[in-house]
Amino acid sequence: MKKAIEIALGIVTSVGGFLEIGSITTAAQAGALFQFRLVWAIILGGVCITFLVEQSGRLSAVSGHTVPDAIRERFGFNYFLFLLVVLAAVTLLVLGAEIGGVCVALEMATGVSFQWWAIPVAFMMWLIIWKGTFSVIEDGTAILGLVTLCFIVGAIVMHPPWKQVAVGALPTLPAHDRLRYWFIAVSILGASVSPYLMFFYSSGAIEDDWKEDYINVNRVIAVSGMSFGTCISVAVLVLAAMVFLPRGIQVEHYSQLALILRDAFGRWGFWLFISSLFVACLGAAMEITLQLSYMVAQGFGWNWSKNQRPKDEARFSLTYTVFIILGALLVVVGIDPLKLTIFSMALTAATLPVAIVPFLFLMNDEEYVEEHTNGWIGNVAVIAIITLAFVLAVVTIPLEIFGGG
Amino acid sequence: MDLARDCLDTQLVDLNCRHMGRVDGIVIEIEDGEQPRVAFVESGVVTQAERLHPRLGRLAARLAKRWGVAESDPYRIPWAEVTPTGVNVTVGVEAEKTPAFAWEKWLRAKIIGRIPGA
Repeated sequence: MKKAIEIALGIVTSVGGFLEIGSITTAAQAGALFQFRLVWAIILGGVCITFLVEQSGRLSAVSGHTVPDAIRERFGFNYFLFLLVVLAAVTLLVLGAEIGGVCVALEMATGVSFQWWAIPVAFMMWLIIWKGTFSVIEDGTAILGLVTLCFIVGAIVMHPPWKQVAVGALPTLPAHDRLRYWFIAVSILGASVSPYLMFFYSSGAIEDDWKEDYINVNRVIAVSGMSFGTCISVAVLVLAAMVFLPRGIQVEHYSQLALILRDAFGRWGFWLFISSLFVACLGAAMEITLQLSYMVAQGFGWNWSKNQRPKDEARFSLTYTVFIILGALLVVVGIDPLKLTIFSMALTAATLPVAIVPFLFLMNDEEYVEEHTNGWIGNVAVIAIITLAFVLAVVTIPLEIFGGG
Repeated sequence: MDLARDCLDTQLVDLNCRHMGRVDGIVIEIEDGEQPRVAFVESGVVTQAERLHPRLGRLAARLAKRWGVAESDPYRIPWAEVTPTGVNVTVGVEAEKTPAFAWEKWLRAKIIGRIPGA
């Protein structure tokens, strides 16, 4: 019975926490420009993150290590520091994008420019982390995050041509804007396959004291949570294809995104979108902040449990405070949140191998996962998708920046 | 025991299971005509910097001497007090009373502890 509740809660957490600024924006741009042609990228990203999340949960349950902790132990201090610097740099951009998303939601609701909201939002995030325990933060944002299910309802209400949506699950090249097509595919992969998600999941497994008998619980949570989550992303794409494409809207500004649920729900659609954006980005921003700080604390061997008082883990508390300030600064200086989002997602895809390759070594090391090492399907799937994302990112990011298209 | 695999970079915990840094270095003493002997494990920024580059290590040592709050950096733990316990390496001390917690205590006293609700 206890495990059934844990499974239910775990799935809710994964679903409620799945959507964030990156997946909303990239899916919406994909739908607006290429109709259903990029559904395959979302599915591919979903499959990959399912494998990775399942594996990181298994690693933690069997070995008692979180992923960053095991990487430091197995690959030494120097590699850990390299990983930390690379991931922190990219993840800070993502954090800025998420905080930007929260601020944009507030701008849409009030009319006050998003930059003004950065500091109040940062302070609110800090206060919740300062005061809250791990389960309050995780479960709270997850349950509120279920509002994002409105995208699925919206997509169904719009009666899309499901056959065409299904055809989009197989990659086909568009006749126009090919560079843009591949670049958005990379951003989609970067938005779904984010290392912070799997690291956070593994920290959660340790916080919740998972042991070897949780392997099946972990598998059910990872597979169902990530599949439902992927469905929400597909729904966003479908909605964008139905709403934006016929009107020629290319989603170059967030204010355009607010229309996405208008056709499905009328006036309510506007408010549903704003609350989804607000909750999804706020939840993601807090998870990212916590994960970055967990990574620092785990790598250097400090106390990091979110269930202790701030003064009992002063270094950890200082770390998340600094990360929140840095993330908010990106918004205060007025970087366009939409551009920041798209580029930070593509950059994430480019840095994936740095985090995932050592992780795969751990998943095949009996010192850590005993007899529960990866099967070949898990290894091959992850390597193939990561390679694809990396190659696409290295090719398309310079072309996007220097306007080669 | 395999020193590099089972001990280096492992989590250090004290008697009360508080995390107190990681095994950043291992000091081995070699004397003429005798077997090499593991003397200490080391933990701290200076050892970490040393691992990146010796010059960085010297710089970190100078900075730590000038502005550091720990009475000794790196913190050296005699091998006799160290017990590998599976996931962690347990040290027979109380973390709060060691240099490993010097920065933690400094931050708690000067910054974090002064914020309401800490």
